[in-house]
Amino acid sequence: MQRHEVVVVGAGLAGQRAALAAIQAGRDVAVVSKLHPLRSHSGAAQGGINAALGKEDSVDTHIYDTVKGSDYLGDQDAIEFFCREAGPTVVEMEHFGTIFSRGDDGSLARRAFGGAGFPRTIYAADRTGLALLQGLWERLGTERFTLYEEWDLTDLVVRDGRVHGIIAFDRKGGDFEEIAAKSVVLATGPFGRVYGRTTNAHSCTGDGVAVAYAAGAYLKDMEFVQFHPTALLESGILITEGARGEGGILKNAAGERFMSRYAPHVLDLASRDVVSRAIVTEVAEGRGFDGPFGKYVHLELMHLGKEKVMSRLQEIVDYCRNFAGIDPVTEPIPVYPGQHYMMGGIGTDIRGATNIRGLFAAGEGACVSIHGANRLGGNSLLETLVFGKEAGIAAAAHAETAPKPEMHSADLDAVVAPLRAWSNRKDGEDPTALREEMQTTMDRYVGIYRNEADLLEGLKRIRAIKARFPNVHVVDQSHVYNLNLTDALEVGHMLELAETIVVGAYARTESRGAHARTDYPKRDDARWMRHTLAQKTPQGPSLSYSPVTYTRWEPKERVY
Amino acid sequence: MVSAKFEVYRFDPAKDAAPHYDQYSLEMAAHTPVLTALLRIRSEVDPSLTLRYSCRSAICGSCAMQVNSKSRLACETQVGPEMERNGRIVVEPMRNQAVLRDLVVDQEPFWRQYDKIQPHLILDPRHPMPEGKENPMTPAQVERFHETPRCIACAACFSACPAVEADPGFPGPMALAKLYRFVVDPRDQAHQARLLAIQPGGLWTCLRCHLCTEACPKDVRPSERIRDLKEMAIRVQGATENGSRHAVGFKENIRERGVLSEAKLVRQTSGIAGMVGQLGQGVRIYRKKPEILKSPHPIEGLDEVRKIYAALDHPEGDPP
Repeated sequence: MQRHEVVVVGAGLAGQRAALAAIQAGRDVAVVSKLHPLRSHSGAAQGGINAALGKEDSVDTHIYDTVKGSDYLGDQDAIEFFCREAGPTVVEMEHFGTIFSRGDDGSLARRAFGGAGFPRTIYAADRTGLALLQGLWERLGTERFTLYEEWDLTDLVVRDGRVHGIIAFDRKGGDFEEIAAKSVVLATGPFGRVYGRTTNAHSCTGDGVAVAYAAGAYLKDMEFVQFHPTALLESGILITEGARGEGGILKNAAGERFMSRYAPHVLDLASRDVVSRAIVTEVAEGRGFDGPFGKYVHLELMHLGKEKVMSRLQEIVDYCRNFAGIDPVTEPIPVYPGQHYMMGGIGTDIRGATNIRGLFAAGEGACVSIHGANRLGGNSLLETLVFGKEAGIAAAAHAETAPKPEMHSADLDAVVAPLRAWSNRKDGEDPTALREEMQTTMDRYVGIYRNEADLLEGLKRIRAIKARFPNVHVVDQSHVYNLNLTDALEVGHMLELAETIVVGAYARTESRGAHARTDYPKRDDARWMRHTLAQKTPQGPSLSYSPVTYTRWEPKERVY
Repeated sequence: MVSAKFEVYRFDPAKDAAPHYDQYSLEMAAHTPVLTALLRIRSEVDPSLTLRYSCRSAICGSCAMQVNSKSRLACETQVGPEMERNGRIVVEPMRNQAVLRDLVVDQEPFWRQYDKIQPHLILDPRHPMPEGKENPMTPAQVERFHETPRCIACAACFSACPAVEADPGFPGPMALAKLYRFVVDPRDQAHQARLLAIQPGGLWTCLRCHLCTEACPKDVRPSERIRDLKEMAIRVQGATENGSRHAVGFKENIRERGVLSEAKLVRQTSGIAGMVGQLGQGVRIYRKKPEILKSPHPIEGLDEVRKIYAALDHPEGDPP
């Protein structure tokens, strides 16, 4: 058994920032991750990180834009804190060594983003996540801590309402191990892979969110799922909003610029939820294209000219050529909305604390909530750093006074016994087949437009898949890098989370932000201005609700 | 659609004495990425096939491997062109790193070299960072990083590098490109110390074969940055290694007559003492080519050569 004061699980931006804060507070820290930290999905973020650093901009405007973007479901005290921390956070990352793009005067360059009153998105070309991940990893590398690389999180040990440590699978060593800890920070990122059409990496399976849920933590606002309008058809790879920002236009199979019917003023640059819903409507009403990889619309860049496309959208050109076999300079790009971001996650307060003592969470897998029903571009990278740091500080403080954790050999045995059974049986369910069925179900029944009949059907199907999961069969018998076991662990986690999404979406009889119910098309503040909390029971998630915190901004209709 | 034929390297240390190749045939669209094909093999044929992967969009650096003997990312290598070029798709683990299982290699040597170059800003406490403000950095200063910030640490360059294979102490292309990134960073306060440390630290082991630049999926062009490091190292330290003396000697040698005087170059590179050590080899070369000891005649158009040197000695806009 390993012992540390603070264990951080997940080594993307939130996890690394939490680890740095806990180390700086003098604690013995371990970082556990199923990927090398530089391979974390934070590195895939393209656009930028928001901070109201411009002379004409203000923190208050950033707060207001975030509150409005959240469709008034964000907690305003948390949003105020978040936006105030933005400037110092970005400057700190610059001091750590992040290489940002610069203006002619040498200051941090800023670009305009959807839903923002001013250009306040600081960026590093179209690879801001990678730049931040490099800068933070370089800074963290100067500190002393233990890295458990390529370890899969399998369980949290919680007894008497308090965390005692984690259990994880060491892929290389081929065994399950206990790591005792006074504080655990979960920063394992999102669970976008519950959907088939997603811009998320294969590794985004919500392991930390699922083990927290299993241990009794509340999951908050799980029904709020952001879909990006332009994911590349077959692979779901993100085609940045910048493509439309540079003048790209969407067309249906009749050659119509259909956004003129949905957003006559801002057209293709309407907010993400609006454009996504428009594309789905076009296809549903028979005006989409059809092909072997499903129905779609066209994103056209050809009219922009080769020079502009090649200079401003180089990454997009590469993506289209390498992943779809098409040349966007001369051909339209086939796109359809794909799952992009999870607003929901492990419920925390501003300090990253959960309802379990010693358990903290941060990043996309956590829900403070600052994004409410809809996240603004440029706020997610900022969230990882601001709340990663807070969670690290709080975890360190808790570890300073918490009693010694108690891990028993029975803890490990209880977790490992069923997992061993997966490998020992002769026949059973294929984890990759279960995963695919879950993804198809979520795509079909719990997508952009939702209604009662679909959600009920989706729930029935997810529960049926979930019921088959205990009979999962791990065919690979090797102890070294058994990815077949990882597949099974991950799909087990995701099935639990998929169920909370569907149950939350079914219960919420209104439309707010990214949650669009065709049978309840209006926002209903009187009944639904509240957070959904899901807690695990043997029968499935049990829902309760908590109030939204207001400070200065009264709810208004959200129009752009 | 193409009928893709795969030959995939398989090795499980728990049960295999030696590696073998498994063959798979699958129908797929020509633009299908090799990674997607391997994942199909995992879900449709053999779930025990083991590889690293995550983002599937060439940004996480997980899925570097050899496809038809080239080190590259499986996610952005398409099946069709590989079939056309080679008639089959041979998938093997990266080189210069021990195989742990199938396509998964032990990256410890790669990360060890990365750690050795001190991959973080080194600051001088006498010159603290501006309080509560970013360091200014002009677009021209940002340009000097070239494409090094794009590096995703996939190790394709490390796998492709023959100098890494020959000398395990050689930092390798990625670590050197990363070193370059810190040497040109205006915030870093150890430029000179970094350059002083690297010349005897293996910089000149680079063979200038440019295989790293060819392998790099993000166009980081490590070999060009290694060239820059060599120039900078000579500038701060002079030529202290056989490699740098060879480079400087070559330049001075040709300046004289416009053509290489080979015997002189040996002395310029190795010094008199070094020449003694190479005496046997020298005698063998002399027997085959006795004219080697004579100084060549200056070439016609030596004036033109001198003009080139003058331009090189006083370039407009000094490089870093």
